[in-house]
Amino acid sequence: MKELDLHVEEGEIFGFLGPNGAGKTTTIKMLLGIIYPSYGEGYVLGREIGDMDVHRVISYLPERPYYYEHMTGLELLKFYDSLFGNHDQAKCQKLLERVNLAADASKTINQYSKGMQQRVGLAQSLLNDPKLLFLDEPTGGLDPIAHREIRDLILSFRDEGRTVFISSHELSEVELICDRVAIINKGEIARQGKLTELLKGGRLEVTVSGVDEGLARKLSSGGVLHQLADGYLLDMPEEEDVNAIVDTVRSAKGTVLSMVPRRKRLEDLFVEAVRGTANSKIAEAGA
Amino acid sequence: MQAIWAIASSTVGEAVRRKVLLVILLIALLLLSIIPALSILSVRTETSATISTIFFVIRFTSALIAIILTIYMIPNEIERRTIYTILSKPVQRWQFLLGKYFGAVLSLAMMMAIMTVLALVMFYFNHRDAGKLADIARQPVLYLVEMSLLTAIAMFFSTFVAPLVNFFLSVGFWLVGTVLNPLYDSFAQNPQSQPAFKLMAKFILNVLPNFANYDVKNPILHPGVIIQNEASYYIKTVGYGFLYIAVLLILGIVIFDRREV
Repeated sequence: MKELDLHVEEGEIFGFLGPNGAGKTTTIKMLLGIIYPSYGEGYVLGREIGDMDVHRVISYLPERPYYYEHMTGLELLKFYDSLFGNHDQAKCQKLLERVNLAADASKTINQYSKGMQQRVGLAQSLLNDPKLLFLDEPTGGLDPIAHREIRDLILSFRDEGRTVFISSHELSEVELICDRVAIINKGEIARQGKLTELLKGGRLEVTVSGVDEGLARKLSSGGVLHQLADGYLLDMPEEEDVNAIVDTVRSAKGTVLSMVPRRKRLEDLFVEAVRGTANSKIAEAGA
Repeated sequence: MQAIWAIASSTVGEAVRRKVLLVILLIALLLLSIIPALSILSVRTETSATISTIFFVIRFTSALIAIILTIYMIPNEIERRTIYTILSKPVQRWQFLLGKYFGAVLSLAMMMAIMTVLALVMFYFNHRDAGKLADIARQPVLYLVEMSLLTAIAMFFSTFVAPLVNFFLSVGFWLVGTVLNPLYDSFAQNPQSQPAFKLMAKFILNVLPNFANYDVKNPILHPGVIIQNEASYYIKTVGYGFLYIAVLLILGIVIFDRREV
C-alpha cells in the first residue's frame, strides 16, 4: 500500500474497487487494526486505527467468511454479542428475523447455504448497532436471489443512517447502490469521487440518412463517424446539442433514424482507471 | 474478561467436536476400562501395576490431546478467517490468545476428568480398595497442571510456527522434560561429566520446563516412599507450572500482537 487518503461521507454507501491484488482487503484490515501498516498512521471515525472505542461502533463482514460450524445461527450471534459484553438473546433473534433467518435460527452453520451464511454474517455485523460497516465482497459467489437480498439489506443500512464501506468486484452491483467510489490499483487511488460525477462523459450515437458525407463529417466534428449501408453513425460526446443536430439534418432533407445515449458505465471507468495507472507507470519507467 | 470467557467457551465447543481428539479419548477410555481387569496377568504386585498403567494412559493421552488440540488452534483461526470477525469487535489480541488458551485447558480438564472418573470406577469395581481412590485422584490433578504447561508451550509456538513444526517442538519439549529430565539431572550432578556437557545439562534443566516434577506416582504406589514437606512440594510444583505458563503466555502475546494474521 502507498499513501491512501479515502474520504467517506457519513451515511453513504462507499464502493472500494480495484483489481485482484490491488490492496482492497489489506486496506480494510489495516483500517480495522487487524494488520499493521509498516509506516504512517490511519484514522477511522476520527480516531487512530486499532482504538477499541472505534471497534464498538464499527463492524466487519469478511470476504467468504467462515463461522464456527458447530454453532447454530442464534448461538453464533450470541457468541459475537458476548464479545461486546452483551447477552441480549431478544436482539439476536430480532436480527435473525431481519435477515430472514428466524426459521433457521436453530440450524447449525454447516447446514446453512452460502447465501444464508452471508446473511447471518450481516446479522452479526449489526449486533453493535454500528455507525460504519466494512463489507468485503458481500455478494461474492452468491446466486441472483441471494444477491438481491443482500443488496436490499445494504440499502436498508443506508436508510438507517449507517455508513457502508463496500469492497467489491461486482461493478454492476456497486453502480446500483453506491453513492461514491474509489478505485485502487497497485496500492494507490486511481479515481475517487461521486459516482454521478465520475460517470459523466457518456457518448451519444446518432444514426442519420439522406445526408452527404460532408455534412455528416461536420455533424460529427466532436466525435467519430462510421459509414453505414443507408447512412452514417455519428458517435459523439453526450454534451453535444441534440436539437441543433436534428435541425441541421432536417434542413438538409435528411432523416434522424435513431439517437441512443450510451451512458458511461462503471466498468468503463474501472478499466480506464486501472489501465491509466498502468500506463502512467510505463510512462514513468520510460522517462 | 467476558470476551476471554466467550472465546474460551467457543473453543471448548469446537474441541469437544474434534473427531481426532474424541478418537484418542475413546481409545484411552477403552484401555482404562480394561486395565484393572488385566492386572491379574501381571507378575508385579497387582494393585501397583494397575495404578501405574492407569497413570501412564492418562498422562500419555492427555499430552497427545493437549498438543493436537493446541497446535492447530491459532493457525486454523487465521486460515479460516474466523479471527478477522473476532478482532474487528472490541477484542484485543491478548484476549483472543488467553481465551483460546483457557478454552484448551478447560477442554483438556474435561477430558482428563472423564478418564480419571472412569479409571477410579473401574479400579474400585475390580479391587474394592476405596482407600486408594483419593491417592489415585491426586496424580491426575498434578497431570492437569503439567498438561496446562504443555498447552502453554504449544500455544506459544503456535503464534509463530506451522502446526507440524509445533508438533515436533512440543513433543520434544515434553520428552526432554519428562523422560530425559532425570538423565540431564544426573549429568549436571555428576562431578565427572565434561564441563561443556555439564553446562548444557544445567542449561536444559534450568531453562526447559521440568515435567518430571508432576509425576508423584512413586509415593502413591509405594507407601514407604514419602515426599519431604509434601504440602510445600505441591505448592512449589504448581507454582512453578503457573509461573512458567504465565511467562510463555506473555511471550506468546508479545509475538502474536505484532504478527500478520
